[in-house]
Amino acid sequence: MQVIIHANSNGGVSVTVPTGELPINEVLVKDCPAGAIIVDDSVLPQGADAQFFDAWELSGSTVTVNFEKAKAIKLAQFNANAVAEAQKRQLNTLAAIDNAVSDADFTASLVAGRTAIASATTTAQLVAI
Amino acid sequence: MAGTIVADTIQDGAGNSTAMDNAIYGSAKAYVNYNGTGTPAINGSYNVSSVTRSGTGIYIVNFTNAMSDAKYAVAITGGCYLSVLGGFLGEYTTSSTTPNQRSTTSVGMFFQSGTSGAGQDNCTASLVVYR
Repeated sequence: MQVIIHANSNGGVSVTVPTGELPINEVLVKDCPAGAIIVDDSVLPQGADAQFFDAWELSGSTVTVNFEKAKAIKLAQFNANAVAEAQKRQLNTLAAIDNAVSDADFTASLVAGRTAIASATTTAQLVAI
Repeated sequence: MAGTIVADTIQDGAGNSTAMDNAIYGSAKAYVNYNGTGTPAINGSYNVSSVTRSGTGIYIVNFTNAMSDAKYAVAITGGCYLSVLGGFLGEYTTSSTTPNQRSTTSVGMFFQSGTSGAGQDNCTASLVVYR
């Protein structure tokens, strides 16, 4: 399948796919900035590299993955997942404390909650991977 | 043969009629449905010449024939990734990637993860435009 690619203002790559209502050459002129080019989508990064779309860079007619950007994207994803997981476990801990029916139960809830929150990053890492 | 019919109402053979405004303003002026994971795969469209993926979860829908103005209404839905729930899906209005996302010739779509807050591609993205 033929698509149109061009560098965008973020330093990344924009990929334009025609719907078929107009010939691709008309789409190139009408919908894309000057300098955009028509390529076969088979030249775009495939497989795992395709996951890091925001790390794609265009040089001439070649699209490559900037691995420093890809690593930063993965780290940000991991950190966001870790924060979300920790918040979820914190709420679970607070609920367990609220529902404690004895001092022993209260202490057990605190201990279990502390362990669960501390290990949240491990779960988030697994999710990110 | 090209031509124009001027009428205030339209009526079927059973006598049911409606104001012409309903036919004009009640009809979608454009729609598109596509899989936005990876390079967008178009499933169907009307009055949409192309879809541009400008970032993860960010798509620009380009109209085949321009709208009369930019005061149209847009409905956007996403059909997969439950983590979009609690996030955001709607019109992309930030100009950091491409300026003037809402214009007579194009409109932006944005899908955001409810978990990370980052853009997230959607496997069944749809847009409908009324004007």
